[in-house]
Amino acid sequence: MWKEIREREFGKLRPNLFTSSVSKHRLSSIQLSNSKEIISSHRASINSLQVDLTEGRYLLAGASDATVAVYDVQRASDYEGGGLIAKHKSVLLINKQHEHGHKYPVSSAIWYPIDTGLFITGSYDHHINVWDTNTTQVVMNFKMPGKVYRTAMSSLARSHMLIAAGTEDVQVRLCDIASGAFSHTLSGHRDGVMSLEWSTSSEWVLITGGCDGAIRFWDIRRAGCFRVLDQSHSQFGRRPPLLVRPSTNKKSSSAGQSSCAKVRAPHKKLNGNALKSQVKTAKQRLHPGMISSLDRATGHYGVITGLKVTDDGMYLLSAGSDSRLRLWDIESGCNTLVNFETTRLQSSKSIQMALSQDSALAFVPCMTTAKAFDMWSGQTRWTFRGHYENINCCWYNALDQELYTAGNDRQILVWSPSKLNFDEVDEWRNGQAAVTDQDNWSD
Amino acid sequence: MNKRIPELETSSSRKRPRDKCSEPESEPESEDAVDNPNSLSLEEDLRFNDTLLALRMMRAQFPQLEKVSVQPFVLRSQLYSSVKDRTQVDRDLESLRRDRVLRIFKLNTGQDDHAIMFLDDYMNQIDRVVKRMEEKKQSDLMVFEWFKANIIQSKLDTSIGHQELCSLLSLEGGKVKEDHISQLINAGLLIRQLIDQHMYWFSIPNIGSVLKGLAQGRKELLSFLNRRKYKEIALATLEKKRLRLSPLDMRFHLRDLIGSGHLKTLRTPTGLIVRVAKD
Repeated sequence: MWKEIREREFGKLRPNLFTSSVSKHRLSSIQLSNSKEIISSHRASINSLQVDLTEGRYLLAGASDATVAVYDVQRASDYEGGGLIAKHKSVLLINKQHEHGHKYPVSSAIWYPIDTGLFITGSYDHHINVWDTNTTQVVMNFKMPGKVYRTAMSSLARSHMLIAAGTEDVQVRLCDIASGAFSHTLSGHRDGVMSLEWSTSSEWVLITGGCDGAIRFWDIRRAGCFRVLDQSHSQFGRRPPLLVRPSTNKKSSSAGQSSCAKVRAPHKKLNGNALKSQVKTAKQRLHPGMISSLDRATGHYGVITGLKVTDDGMYLLSAGSDSRLRLWDIESGCNTLVNFETTRLQSSKSIQMALSQDSALAFVPCMTTAKAFDMWSGQTRWTFRGHYENINCCWYNALDQELYTAGNDRQILVWSPSKLNFDEVDEWRNGQAAVTDQDNWSD
Repeated sequence: MNKRIPELETSSSRKRPRDKCSEPESEPESEDAVDNPNSLSLEEDLRFNDTLLALRMMRAQFPQLEKVSVQPFVLRSQLYSSVKDRTQVDRDLESLRRDRVLRIFKLNTGQDDHAIMFLDDYMNQIDRVVKRMEEKKQSDLMVFEWFKANIIQSKLDTSIGHQELCSLLSLEGGKVKEDHISQLINAGLLIRQLIDQHMYWFSIPNIGSVLKGLAQGRKELLSFLNRRKYKEIALATLEKKRLRLSPLDMRFHLRDLIGSGHLKTLRTPTGLIVRVAKD
């Protein structure tokens, strides 16, 4: 460690390389933390976790007993065990007794991406509430036509403040905080929308995964979705080859795209089936942007339970109730055919996945364990066993290299890099509180 | 590793269904011209990959079924049990599928079951079905010819839409009626999708009873192991057991369950033991 610092000082080692090697080294020693514990104030299963994006300090959790709590993960509320175990109690707790609180399970709780002054919660009581963190009051309220499964706000957005909401209704709604009204709806899915994410490369692109198995990409400035991912379109390797040969695979299997629909028009005379008139009138009535709703390609054989976009905006990891994880290349829209060894994934609720900093590892909740998969080969690196029941959500804190997981057993577990041996022995010998910024020679 | 042309290889040791082809890299093998003088091209002999090797071996080991005549097929989970790198298996299957060496069918037993069959075997299966229909003196079997000529060669996916089906069949010049499609469905070549009425799955004819046996055999084997005190059994003992409800043999089911993650094998000083995997 000191040798690397010396090399960085002399300029032999680049700072970025140094940082990433230290974080990788710490990440590789992750285990159930024996020095940090979050005391969960929830009485039912926890559905959503998020650490704020600005400071990386406050963890927001939403649970099925309509409670929402905020925990400070950097500063402990008290110490136990001679100062060795840090306990983190909730800084803020909202429960059913709150006059404007939710009355049904909170399925999604997210921070406002710009600062921690606001947070947004979506619940099965068909409401999305925008809360002011300091006064714990509801600032704005949106009513949805169905149970809210997931809400998302774009962290890149500079010109809009839209909350995308996926509900059990087939339409995805965009709610505007600035005006307090719905800005528009996106139609195309044929069943509820259980997972949605904003793209990390464009503030206008939203990715949704529906209960019909389709993954759609929407540009919110246009009508209709511009891409539907099809699991049969695949490419070998991370990126498609540079020399593009016309592959029979892609052209022959797209059934609903507009060009193919037009080509088939002269063939209709030969067929004489009842569909002819129906499709023709459907074509005449549909806006060109809505032709994508005819596309019935599916990304998974089942409900899409989780989506996660990599930080560079190039790949999308999707989890389905067919117990498969698929890695998609966003630029080409193809399945990269990486096989993640998952036996079972929970299919009734949506799961929240996490990615490590350079997207080399994917943390996925698989029933009662969380597994870390190598992103490019699909092999299981580590399995985190500690929860008593199914895990619903996990979040990776890149600043401290810590993983937080929460699930149906009402606990939030912290998985952190193991401390160096000589540190622990030192503390035990001194018997003092492990306050890190105390010098060894101060009186 | 013993380098032999896979068609001639008969594996004598059933005891290690997992240990075959477990090297993760694909290796070009040195050709042995003396072994197979009838090979069409040296290229086929020079380059194999693990997936193709495993497929050929498992096809040769497909159990003999008395009551039903089905050409050998391999389940995807069985491939995963033998070849270590699953991503490579998926990619190899995709490239073999695009080269029209084999076809993949989605099965209705379970969420993500796929059956892989070599194209020649599939054509043989279709011919058998057509021959049986001829014996029953059914006329107008043109649709099967159209099916073989157009659809199998051009449509490589596991499913097909109604529009595309009709347009591809009618390329031969004949007019496609609803009766033709019903004939294909009755023969077992197409199955309507439950979620979408205008889409069909491709399917292997005469496979129904085999699939029923597969589902029941899986359940029987898993419940047998779950009932035991420690949920495990030595492989040597398990080999001798015959499954009551399934016409397929123990090796077939073991490979399938190991590949799909329900069972795992462990090495012990007395040999391999098979245990129910808990997550």
